[in-house]
Amino acid sequence: MSETPLLQIENLTQHFPVRGRGHKVVHAVDGVSFAIGRGRTLGLVGESGCGKSTCARSIIRIYEPTSGHVRLDGQDITRLSQKQLLPLRRKMQMIFQDPYASLNGRMTVRALIGEPLRAHGAAESRRDEEDRILRMLEKVGLTREHAGRYPHEFSGGQRQRVGIARALILRPELVICDEPISALDVSIQAQIVNMLRDFQQELGLSYLFIAHDLSMVRYISDEVGVMYMGQLVEHSPAEDIYAHPLHPYTQGLLASIPVPDPSLARLQDEEGLSGDLPSPIDPPPGCRFHTRCPHATGCCREEAPALRNVGGGHAVACHLV
Amino acid sequence: MSQPWARAAAAGADRERIAATPHSFGVDVWLRFAKKPTALAGLIAVLLLLACALIGPSLSPYSYDKQTLSLAGVPPVFTAVVAPEAGRYFYITPNQKIIEVDDQGRLLRQLPMAQDLFMEKRVSYRCGPQDEGLVYLDYSAAKPALLDEAGNPLAATRVLWNRTYLLGTDHLGRDILTRLMYGAQISLMVAFIAAAVNMVIGTLYGGIAGYLGGRVDAIMMRVVDIISTIPLTLYVILIKVCLAGGLVGIIVALSSVYWVDMARVVRGQVLSLKQQEFVLAARTIGSGTRRILLTHLIPNAMGSILVTATMLIPSAIFMEAFMSFIGIGIAPPMASLGTMCNDATEALRSSPYQLFLPALIICLIMFAFNFVGDGLRDSLDPQLKR
Repeated sequence: MSETPLLQIENLTQHFPVRGRGHKVVHAVDGVSFAIGRGRTLGLVGESGCGKSTCARSIIRIYEPTSGHVRLDGQDITRLSQKQLLPLRRKMQMIFQDPYASLNGRMTVRALIGEPLRAHGAAESRRDEEDRILRMLEKVGLTREHAGRYPHEFSGGQRQRVGIARALILRPELVICDEPISALDVSIQAQIVNMLRDFQQELGLSYLFIAHDLSMVRYISDEVGVMYMGQLVEHSPAEDIYAHPLHPYTQGLLASIPVPDPSLARLQDEEGLSGDLPSPIDPPPGCRFHTRCPHATGCCREEAPALRNVGGGHAVACHLV
Repeated sequence: MSQPWARAAAAGADRERIAATPHSFGVDVWLRFAKKPTALAGLIAVLLLLACALIGPSLSPYSYDKQTLSLAGVPPVFTAVVAPEAGRYFYITPNQKIIEVDDQGRLLRQLPMAQDLFMEKRVSYRCGPQDEGLVYLDYSAAKPALLDEAGNPLAATRVLWNRTYLLGTDHLGRDILTRLMYGAQISLMVAFIAAAVNMVIGTLYGGIAGYLGGRVDAIMMRVVDIISTIPLTLYVILIKVCLAGGLVGIIVALSSVYWVDMARVVRGQVLSLKQQEFVLAARTIGSGTRRILLTHLIPNAMGSILVTATMLIPSAIFMEAFMSFIGIGIAPPMASLGTMCNDATEALRSSPYQLFLPALIICLIMFAFNFVGDGLRDSLDPQLKR
């Protein structure tokens, strides 16, 4: 890619101090780097607690990153104050995981969707604001009469549509989707993902799409990154990672996808994941996955593998590849 | 043949329709509030008290400080002795004056004393239209008795309602009903102003401390701790002593102290709310601290704020009554429920109604506000609607 990517993350690190444990910290995100081009989607997967959501929240500056750089459109936003960041927030919006918790129950849908307009003074007049809100509502598949309603009157899928409308009303360039479908039931998941794809085509959006489940990510992503204990362990074009998963952790994740027809179980003979996540306060030395890796060697216990390119845009952090 | 598994026919627009009629938040709250009988009763009681306190004094023929010493200490209902003259009754007051009453229960006059026959332990009073008759008050027994001119006891009695002073008079002959209305006025005024001031100060203080967190929070809450370790009563008394007496002093004293509870409650709520996703969402949208505090955090904490405020109203009323009771509150002759209770303690055994009536009003106000607060808490939570 010759042009600057829309979002570029370099060595992003996010540590949280642990209270009452001296100077210990939780290593939530440790040296993650990736880039997202315009109109492209990066799927970020990994099990609960691996740091995907923290990564998203550090990018959008809900948390102050410990170190590293986040560049939006070539501009380093990591150390900007919240005030300096305000105009840039129009370019970068977020869709949250829980459609029940992410909407203020005391506000009507009109007020919820209109909040970004008011925060940025984006609407020229009251009428313009109302117009844009109603148009956005219809775009996400709700109707005008929903504008005066409160979130608790809606189903989960409808609420997530409100969340999407709120994220898109400022016409951002980058939308960070933090597990937008994991709280929804399966029939709704596809509707929402299709809607997100339609918006991408129509508006040229870029997505950072976070999920804990590889199957849905496959459908929407151009590239996929796999995280484990705060580190990116594998990063490749989407189809490639499903065809040739290289990291043992990715292989384990793929093996854990339920297969509709057991006679077609292609990866079932591979080992699934066993064991629990080690503590993120004292991550294991060497490769962080070695405590659960079926192929771990002595080298894995001592030296941390770097993420290196193995060709075709496929990068993996494993000594054995 | 009908298709048992045919798709239900629903047009695209209909599928997303919500059947319930839309209500604004306020209407919703009111509908839920009105469903609760205790809350409604509390609200009606508060409104009635307010009406009495605001309109009542202007309808009353008496003022709070008009003394009629000759008619002091007459209860609302009394047992009168039937007088020899037709349609006339005599009421013996606790301090052994005789008041002439007509058959409607109107107090006419205090009988003038003719002679004090202390050897016979009786006092003679003039009575009749031209003061031509005499009655004797015999105080030789524990219970004083009236005797007619011939010395025969007047035994017939009748229970009468006091028509001149509906709730009787106090020990200085002031109308208790009028004084109660003025007292309720002061109580409610103190309560509303103190609650409003505390709500504003406490909510903003607690909200800012909770939302900013960290060092700001630590310093702000230590200030609250210091204020709240000083016994509240002592502090209020000290402020009262320093400030000029009267209503303003009480309001300033109550307003400057009671907000600490509110600040604590709001801070706790904000601390838990600010980690909720909708607040994070507001931050990613780019809403400023002010907007987040005023449109997201405080409305969501409104339930506990209102409950705390309505719990604060009765305690503010009680504190005002208490201060007036111990003599550092409202200055006489202005009526306050507390000063009325205090005045009544002197004659507690002979005229218990003088204490009972203001105490009843204090209880009524406190009950009513507690019920209203309870109802508000339940109806403000839209999650309960389901």
